[in-house]
Amino acid sequence: MTTGTTTTGVARPAPPRPRRDDAFRRQLARLGWGFTAPSLILIGAVTIFPILFSVIMSLSNVNVTGSGFKLSGVTGSNYSILIHSDQWRYALTFTVVYTVITVAIEVVLGTLIALVLERLTVGRGWMMALLLIPWSMITVINATLWGYIYNPTYGVLDDILSHLGLGTPVVLGTPLPAIIALMVADIWKTTPFVAIIVLAGLVMLPQDLYEAAEVDGANGWRTFWRITFPLLRPTIALAVLFRVLQAFGLFDLPFVLTNGGPGHSTTSLAILGYNTMFANFDFGPGAAVATSTAVLVLIGCLVFLRVFRAQVGKEA
Amino acid sequence: MIVLPTRTRGGRISLLVTALAATSALTLAACGSSGTSASGGSSKPSGSANSGTIVWWASPITTTTPDPRTVLINAFEKVHPNIHVRLQSAPNNTDTNRASLVTTISGGSASPDVFMGDVIWPAEFGAHQLAVPLSKYLKSSYWSTFAPGLVTGATYKGQIYGAPFFEDQGFLYYRKDLLRKEHLSVPKTWEQLESDAVMLKNKGLVKYGYVWQGASYEGLTCNFMEYLGSAGGSVLNSGLTKATVDSPAGQKALNFMRSLVTSGASPSAVTTFQEPQAMSAFATGQAAFLRNWDYGYSYANTASSPSKVVGKVGVAPLPGFPGQPYPGTSNIGGWNLYINPHSKNVAADLTFIKWMTGAAAQTILATKFSEIPTVQSVRSSEAVVRVNPVLATVPHTRLIPRPAQTPQYPKVSQAIFQNVNSVLAGSSSPTSALSTASNSINSAVSGSGL
Repeated sequence: MTTGTTTTGVARPAPPRPRRDDAFRRQLARLGWGFTAPSLILIGAVTIFPILFSVIMSLSNVNVTGSGFKLSGVTGSNYSILIHSDQWRYALTFTVVYTVITVAIEVVLGTLIALVLERLTVGRGWMMALLLIPWSMITVINATLWGYIYNPTYGVLDDILSHLGLGTPVVLGTPLPAIIALMVADIWKTTPFVAIIVLAGLVMLPQDLYEAAEVDGANGWRTFWRITFPLLRPTIALAVLFRVLQAFGLFDLPFVLTNGGPGHSTTSLAILGYNTMFANFDFGPGAAVATSTAVLVLIGCLVFLRVFRAQVGKEA
Repeated sequence: MIVLPTRTRGGRISLLVTALAATSALTLAACGSSGTSASGGSSKPSGSANSGTIVWWASPITTTTPDPRTVLINAFEKVHPNIHVRLQSAPNNTDTNRASLVTTISGGSASPDVFMGDVIWPAEFGAHQLAVPLSKYLKSSYWSTFAPGLVTGATYKGQIYGAPFFEDQGFLYYRKDLLRKEHLSVPKTWEQLESDAVMLKNKGLVKYGYVWQGASYEGLTCNFMEYLGSAGGSVLNSGLTKATVDSPAGQKALNFMRSLVTSGASPSAVTTFQEPQAMSAFATGQAAFLRNWDYGYSYANTASSPSKVVGKVGVAPLPGFPGQPYPGTSNIGGWNLYINPHSKNVAADLTFIKWMTGAAAQTILATKFSEIPTVQSVRSSEAVVRVNPVLATVPHTRLIPRPAQTPQYPKVSQAIFQNVNSVLAGSSSPTSALSTASNSINSAVSGSGL
């Protein structure tokens, strides 16, 4: 791992660096800032500004007019609307449950696939390419294709189920099946992503540990739980983090497949925020939905990272 | 510029990810915030201008070729050679269409100049100053040319915001051949329709009896309004301040809609049907009855649609409930023409709108594309009525508008279609759905709640 440039530091105490070097470093740093300034400014304009603006909107009375947004006053009423809204509470519960279930299944499946892929000697590249197809497709298109499968009049799922004698359930028209249908489409699309990340972690694991385990007579099950899994933890943590962030912003699948229905059973926080802002023109409460979602996912991720890092630290 | 909340997939490494998450969630909020205020509608038109270029934002009117929008623009440019109209095609989905317009106009864009917008938009666009009050420029002699009710629907707080461009309403389409075979008459009551549908389905003549729009979206509100109106009910009181939907009429409407599904008259899949699904079930010969808009007739009678029931389709007003007047109520749909308050050429916009709502354009729309004209004289002309049996049915229907006179209408409609859809899916009872809808509507019109 440590193939850094400062090999001298290991053998003897480092001599005080010459001042010339110091000045040069500072100059380099300035140059570095200079080079990155344009992109930093751009990021500031398209990232920091919208974030701040959303936070401000969520704390103001916002009126959208023909000549832009009119913000007035500082108020917590947008957030109080959320807390008192059954719709928001439902959307929050739905989004959290959806995220937990899909990410858990994706991580298990993805890890299994990665373990298989790692052992493949022939055609691993082809398999990976095949696996990446669902991941690389645009979600809206994925969703439309799933819409054909789930279609209650000519969909293939309907046909299979009725041939199996399971009747013709209206998958997207009944709450629980609709939620499961969205989860299946999501898992289908993103499991390969988890698999590829985990595979990248797998191939980097030190081989000598496995040899030692083999010498000690450990079986495959034991080797996985004692060696592979603990060493893979940081990689899996990364995969989980990516997936949680995406799953929490669930929008395209319900937008295409169910429009948040039946009833409001697949209304995620992002769908709710979109409707609040762009259908109802309630930009204050809509900004509150977006801001609170971001804060919640931020807290969730920080806690998750903390817990995981602590565990990784203990084992190291 | 059209600002839509696009979502990005993929990302960077480690903790930065967390920051990115915040961004992606928050950019949604900031979409369309690039507000540069322009001097809205300050240009004073001097009656009519006859030069310049204007951009017309319109979603596809029909799927036929030639495109009616292009046909109309060409005809307009022949009469007004110095005004050039550039068509900007808008999204098909009404909600996406509206979201794009709101961000564009509130962002201060001077383009599009004229936009074709839904009949349910005047209150919302008027309340947020996203459209020019046309009554400031056009005199009452102009407004009196339209069929009754249309101008009222385009009015908010005494100002008229949209010029009625073409109208639409719900119709009952039926299979003439099947009714003849079974010696049935065209159903006059909903109960009759239900039992006929069940009978035709049980005899194996069709896969589904009656198809309509039951998905959780605006179209379900339209369908519900028709049953509710036929039962003599309403959604809001006349002051638009209180929900009146939780009533015996509401119960009757909702019980009947649910019974269509439970009796097998309508497939349970109807809870996911929007217009295209219902239309294709009917056009492929799978259904005996269809509730759809004006275009249903020409669609079903055009082999290339594709339709397998060409020549076998009849049209009638929607049925009513026994003890209530026949026909039942048809919901009003259709499109108006609006002007962007930032338009730099309001005079040319007005010239364009006046022509599009004049006899020439309205006749083209009615005779070539079988849309229902908004202008009374065109609507009742022999030449127009002869072209399309749908247009001959129009004078016999009874219309009911959606409660779109309140700027909170989108929330009112959501409260309706989400709860009605739950009932259709069997996940809530009509009684509890009506009370939930009623509460949501009350909090919507009082300006509280999401």
